Amino acid sequence: MKKLSLALMALAIMTVSVPAVAQEAPRIHLIHGIPDTAVDVEAGGANVFENFQFGETQDLSSLAGATLEGLTVKLAGTDTVAIDAGDVALPATGNYTIIAHLTADGTPTLAVFENDTSTIAAGEGRLTVRHTAAAPAVDVLANGDVAFSNLANPDGVSADLAVGTISATVVPTGTTEPVVIGPADLPIADGASLIVYAVGSLEAESLTVLTESITGLGTAPAAVNTGNSPVESAAPWAVVAGLAVAAVAGFAVRRRHAMES
Amino acid sequence: MRYFFLSLVVFLSACSSLSGVSSSSTTSGPSPIATVSSSSSTTTTEVPSTAIESGTTSPFADLVTPLGSARYDPETLLATGPVPVGLHLETIGVDNAPVVPVGVLDNGEMEIPGATEVGWYRFGPSPGEQGSAVLAAHIAYNGRNGLFRKLDQMQPGDSFEVSYDDGTTHRFAVTEIAQYGKTELPFDRIFAKDGEAALVLITCGGTFNESLRSYDDNIVVYAVPSA
Repeated sequence: MKKLSLALMALAIMTVSVPAVAQEAPRIHLIHGIPDTAVDVEAGGANVFENFQFGETQDLSSLAGATLEGLTVKLAGTDTVAIDAGDVALPATGNYTIIAHLTADGTPTLAVFENDTSTIAAGEGRLTVRHTAAAPAVDVLANGDVAFSNLANPDGVSADLAVGTISATVVPTGTTEPVVIGPADLPIADGASLIVYAVGSLEAESLTVLTESITGLGTAPAAVNTGNSPVESAAPWAVVAGLAVAAVAGFAVRRRHAMES
Repeated sequence: MRYFFLSLVVFLSACSSLSGVSSSSTTSGPSPIATVSSSSSTTTTEVPSTAIESGTTSPFADLVTPLGSARYDPETLLATGPVPVGLHLETIGVDNAPVVPVGVLDNGEMEIPGATEVGWYRFGPSPGEQGSAVLAAHIAYNGRNGLFRKLDQMQPGDSFEVSYDDGTTHRFAVTEIAQYGKTELPFDRIFAKDGEAALVLITCGGTFNESLRSYDDNIVVYAVPSA
């Protein structure tokens, strides 16, 4: 709510353009993050979609603002309830990912993460790591160094990093081995947010990662300065250069005129 | 990574709800999306969600779109296309000028190489890819004419060539040429990350400001891929 009122204040005092983020259509994605488990998803006692497979994504954005009454996840083709989520009110605005995943102790659940869509500086990308696996707390190493430490299910951490590729590994907190996930090369792309989910189960040896990406958060360069001296007008070519300068000036005047008319 | 069968016991014991998650979340964890009580059945879409017989298809089904896989796929995730290494602007005498990748300076300006190279904005698309690729070069640098000294002489319809690090070349055709005050540049268009493939050539123009050692304007040539 605090964020919202701040946004409203920003709108009120803004005289130029409203940030694109504030006008964005709602985006709600649902990711299946429980390995080896096809499911059917029901709401109001009826099928919303069937045979939803591990690693697949469904776009629920059109349901923004709706309430899914009696949201139930069942093992595909059976009446076995994996997740009874009750009535779920989907947010009307904003950017969210809902993931069906395992808790630290291996119980299927749904988590709703709000995605950070704040602007990213030019030359950087955002990396978010979310622990949604049946596993203890972990450290995330980037290129061998601890980037995020003591990340526990169902928490997430995020950082804006320089564009490039990082090699990520996941290890139990406070150690460098055994590597439980990775190494996985991850692209840090300009203006894009890469969200990585650790999913699966340590005990069942099904730990792996899922990814999603949110683009269009970048910043363009502030200026393009492509000249720190006048064009050449050295004496030996004074006449030629003089003509060139005149031509440039004439061009500039014409362009100005054309743009103003 | 191999996937092992998950014990059914896990599911038979499952009865976790969203409210359970929110109660254990931290600031960095999942947000507590409201789990509303069934007594306050306020559905804000026009789609009815009540009085549906078990086993039927929910009217919500039509509003849900499958998006494909979120599985880690390094080949797709890390895919990169060829990048530009040369620029050949026949009509203004730029003969296979070297193109180098550039980024941004600490002050947020686009990085520009010296007088004899063209800078490709490496945080945007490569020329020919979706979005607007940007190649920039000086009009004049440290007392020397730059490669884009005559960029303002290009005309709509002019054809030119870009060569790439994989040995390929592609041709582009000028669609528009414009002059803007430095702060009036249409940054969103010039540095667009998506939309139809476009290529923008930029240099400076207008009056040279002696005290700022800078030109007042930018000259911008817009082009699109051609056959």
